[in-house]
Amino acid sequence: MLELVDFGKSYDGVNAIQNVSFNVNEDEYLTLLGPSGSGKTVLLRLIAGLDRPDTGRIILNGQDITTMPTHLRGIGFVQQKYALFPHMSVRQNISFGLINHHSSPIRDEKKVNYLCDEMLDIVGLSGLADRGVGQISGGQKQRVSLARTLVTKPKLCLLDEPLGALDANLRERMTVELRDIRTTLGVSFIHVTGNEDEALGMGDRMIVLDKGCVIQIEEPNKLFAMPASVKVARHVNSYNILSGSTENNSFVFADYKLPMAAYAKSAAFYVVGIDKVTIEKVGSVKRKAKDITSFEAKFVDAEFMGSRVVYQFELADGQIFEVERHLSRETPVDYKAGEVRCLSWKAADVLAFASDGGLINENAKIRGTV
Amino acid sequence: MTLNSNDRNADQRSYFERFSHYYLLVPGVTWMALFLIVPLLMMVYVSFWTQTTFAIHSELTTKSWVTFFSSETYFGALLRTIRIWLTVLFFTFLLGYPVALYIGLFVRSKTIQTVLLVACVIPFWTSFLIRVLAWRPMLGKEGAVNLVLQKLGIISQPIEVLLFTELAVVIGMVQIYVVFMVGPIAFMLSRIDGSLLEAARDIGAKPFTTFRKIIFPLSLPGVTVGAIFVSVMVLGEFATASALSGRKVNMLGNIIVTQVGSLKWAFAAVIGVVLTIVIAIIITALLRLVNLREEL
Repeated sequence: MLELVDFGKSYDGVNAIQNVSFNVNEDEYLTLLGPSGSGKTVLLRLIAGLDRPDTGRIILNGQDITTMPTHLRGIGFVQQKYALFPHMSVRQNISFGLINHHSSPIRDEKKVNYLCDEMLDIVGLSGLADRGVGQISGGQKQRVSLARTLVTKPKLCLLDEPLGALDANLRERMTVELRDIRTTLGVSFIHVTGNEDEALGMGDRMIVLDKGCVIQIEEPNKLFAMPASVKVARHVNSYNILSGSTENNSFVFADYKLPMAAYAKSAAFYVVGIDKVTIEKVGSVKRKAKDITSFEAKFVDAEFMGSRVVYQFELADGQIFEVERHLSRETPVDYKAGEVRCLSWKAADVLAFASDGGLINENAKIRGTV
Repeated sequence: MTLNSNDRNADQRSYFERFSHYYLLVPGVTWMALFLIVPLLMMVYVSFWTQTTFAIHSELTTKSWVTFFSSETYFGALLRTIRIWLTVLFFTFLLGYPVALYIGLFVRSKTIQTVLLVACVIPFWTSFLIRVLAWRPMLGKEGAVNLVLQKLGIISQPIEVLLFTELAVVIGMVQIYVVFMVGPIAFMLSRIDGSLLEAARDIGAKPFTTFRKIIFPLSLPGVTVGAIFVSVMVLGEFATASALSGRKVNMLGNIIVTQVGSLKWAFAAVIGVVLTIVIAIIITALLRLVNLREEL
């Protein structure tokens, strides 16, 4: 339904985004992951028409809307800071877009109230209609902002870090509710976030943005299992990335020499998921076992995260190697700082990337140029 | 040290602490009492004194009040004052709002905003009277405006109504006081978060609707403050009125000046009381219009 073609925008000669092209499908929840400064908000503003792109076109349902003013586009934009009208009540905020629509305003007060109540119900704010927007909490403001946009029945709804300002509890609830609301209304969402869990958990597809460029568009489970490049693996934030070189079927990195599959002759990055690693006593792993890779590392610290623990180990060159263990499978172990342990993982769980960052596929194919 | 004396010390300290901040008010309260409250009460009192041609006695009478409301000259001056005030208020708003809108909303750089606001205040670098009198060579029969219009062939006869009329007074006052309207409005407008306007646009409002429903309501506290500034100054005016009307247009302020000049204290006091009441009513009404405490 929405098609971006070769979008680019620079501010003061610095490229905020460049060569961005992607499609948004009907009835789709699209998440866009990028660290701060990667051009996420710029991209949303361009789609909403609040800024003009320097290059590229944007096509909505077959119509080129590149130069169309914001209020005619019918694309909803829920801003990060809610942007509620401070001099209006919740109901007045939500009905603003209905009463003041540029071409087809709804003059019938009953109808406005009905649509407004219906939307309040969907976002779970029934009974708060007559409150002032200064009298409600942050999470409620977030919902009012969302309701104000959705009540105008946008063709597409853009959400700029919608959960960023919420506390963890509320964040989890809104995660589920946002998906439910979207399913109820059947509107496509583009949800921008800097949080990889949000992007992976909520999207039907996800886009990874890095320094203004799209570096992968994929379904979250596929993207997580097989990042297209080292950069994507970094953004997903669940991989240990070791950089070195491959010689004679082994990956040389600092003082370590790890076996490397034959297909990855030119691997420059050795990547293993933090949840794929097991921690054992030194000497208990048979180093000769063919499908198991292991090395020794010094324990530094552990971070308890409720259902899981992330252990940090220091490698010979000082790099931190993380291991995530789920507590549903084992009880947490207390290691002493400086204690040396043997970390092991299956050779099949290793991903190899070429020096340009592209994934090296098992089918002896090398992506990108070397 | 016994427990008792400790307690008493603590009490003394807290007593001092509890009331010490009121001492901060002493200079201000003394000043206001001596030079505002007492004179005000005095003015009300004197307005009921008996006035003869050359002397004034403290026997109470309502004669001055009756004269004020029955005399066409004096009551007319009250109506004229209100009329001029409303006209000036209207035009300062009409001319001031667009300027404030430009400075407060369309200039996004704080530095340029400040520069423009300072530029608005440049006329204040000369004295008030000079600013008023400078309008005479502008508006006179052979003044700049008439000369230019004649040279351009737009008019053949000089427009005589420009100077020494109520119009001249209004023109002069609008120019002098418009900046007091611009300042507060520009301040309120500059505080409006740009994301509100984007949000309004995004949910389908035309630019003018956004102005009517978002920008203007949010700038109202600034309009109120500006209106209060202009009102207070215009209602008590006498210099502009006398200088630009050739003493033909008399506002309440002008009458006070004349009465005091001819030692008619009781009568001057009556007008003073009337003026004070009028200003009080207008400010109360303006404050009712917008709840400043909530908005600022």
